[in-house]
Amino acid sequence: MVNKLIKEDTKMFLTGNEVLAYAANSAEAEFMYGYPITPQNEIMHTWCKLLPKTEAGFLQTEDEISAGFSTIGGILAGKRAFTATAGPGNVIMQDAQSMAEMMRIPFVCAVMQRGGPSTATVIYAQQETRLTCFGGNGEGFRIVYSTAGHQDLYDYMIKAFNTAWKYRFPTYVLADGYQGKMREPVTLYDPASRGITMVPTTKALLADGQIGVDRKSAHLRNTYNMEEELMEVLEGYKADYEKMSEEVAEWEEYKAEDAEILVIAHGIVARSARTAIDELREKGIKAGLFRPITIRPLAVKPLRAAVSRAKQILFTESANGQLAQMVLEKLYGLNTPYSTLFKMGVGVTGDDIVNKVESMAVAV
Amino acid sequence: MSRTKIVLAGEGGQGVQSIAKILVEAGYEAGRQVLYIPNFGVEQRGGVSIAFCQIADETIGEPRFAKGDIIIMLSDRAIDRCSAYVDENSIVVYDTSVCTKKPEVKCKEIIGVDANKIANEQLSARVFNIIILGVLLEATHVLELSDIKNAMEQALGKKFDAKPELRELNYKALEMGMGLIKERTAV
Repeated sequence: MVNKLIKEDTKMFLTGNEVLAYAANSAEAEFMYGYPITPQNEIMHTWCKLLPKTEAGFLQTEDEISAGFSTIGGILAGKRAFTATAGPGNVIMQDAQSMAEMMRIPFVCAVMQRGGPSTATVIYAQQETRLTCFGGNGEGFRIVYSTAGHQDLYDYMIKAFNTAWKYRFPTYVLADGYQGKMREPVTLYDPASRGITMVPTTKALLADGQIGVDRKSAHLRNTYNMEEELMEVLEGYKADYEKMSEEVAEWEEYKAEDAEILVIAHGIVARSARTAIDELREKGIKAGLFRPITIRPLAVKPLRAAVSRAKQILFTESANGQLAQMVLEKLYGLNTPYSTLFKMGVGVTGDDIVNKVESMAVAV
Repeated sequence: MSRTKIVLAGEGGQGVQSIAKILVEAGYEAGRQVLYIPNFGVEQRGGVSIAFCQIADETIGEPRFAKGDIIIMLSDRAIDRCSAYVDENSIVVYDTSVCTKKPEVKCKEIIGVDANKIANEQLSARVFNIIILGVLLEATHVLELSDIKNAMEQALGKKFDAKPELRELNYKALEMGMGLIKERTAV
């Protein structure tokens, strides 16, 4: 067991990367594996700075391939381990992430998106949305929380551990360089004080008890001989994933009830949308927000309901429609017209959204 | 609802991010809502370094804004990069002793200060950025001088205790920066 540092509500002024390290400690994480890449380095820096007090562990590996597989190794050894990465690091960690998906490993990873493709910028983007949801050679049996600020980072990093250990699908906190590097106030707390019980860490291998008497043998595979054998396993995963989806799917609506123009945005862009919606409402334009918090799986029913109520939709992202593609698939059969405001690797401001929605309102 | 949007831009190494940290820490300690995003490239040194800061009375929504209330430009490249954040309501401050040109922007006011020259000739090159912090404070009145001094104490207190003259130097730099605005003539 590690020492938890946050025992009572503590208001702090931190960067998002620092928040994530504290959150992992509050979630009783025991070990972090990682490899440096901007803009997420301070997660491991903070985690390491806290080690003398937490008595947790850390290993800096030789690259992200190794960080991903080491995290799996740590979990198999019975530790509550996690990792974090960004950009090209997220790309090369996909092999391990696929393995976690195949072996139902409670793999927790924070992704702080930077510009892409390739090295691009170290600053910010929402261009790892598709990669984080569907990367690797698999079906995207993953859970992805997209956060919109520091309180979210703390809340959802804690939740990610519980989701991963309960459902045993790789679980991600998807944020971005702005959230990683920016400083804003946040309230840290002990999960128990919010009625949150942490799902216990259990051993995947070398568990207690005698095989065949006290427990079944653990048979973790990422290799299959027969096509049908693989499909049978994956059909089971798919059924588990679909059953779980309604339980884990989260979303947020802001003034969406009577919205004629519904903005669909995730992460930090959704926060800019809130600023824009307040301004638009003052100008008499009925705008609202639908923000998927889990971008995988999406909260399909509330999404379709909100879209059905609106006259027009605006998709806005710091990417070329990566979320929009995922959402549009779920809107099949609805014919609400949509517009787009996509800024690849660049922050979307409130003004950007105000101007776009105003032009949409005029066009009607 | 009051919100002050600040852009601080200069060359890497000029101390832009350091004063942004002091500024937002001061705002946080004063009980205001604050949000700060550092923005820089892949270089270890050099390159344009920008700090986007917001200080407000209510919860801050958008982390990045389109136009700033005050834009401080401390190099020619900072002028090039940050003119896009200026509109007719912005105050623009640039350092006449670093920049070789004047910002060509339409705005409320352009203020030229020679903070770099003053730092080198009268104080110390190391407090150039603190002079700029004084300029920012006097130009916006977004926080009290005591808030800034408290935050400087938090950031530099140990160094100050070891060398009390450093505290005096930094306070002097702050005051001289504020003085540049009090005595200014618009250019």
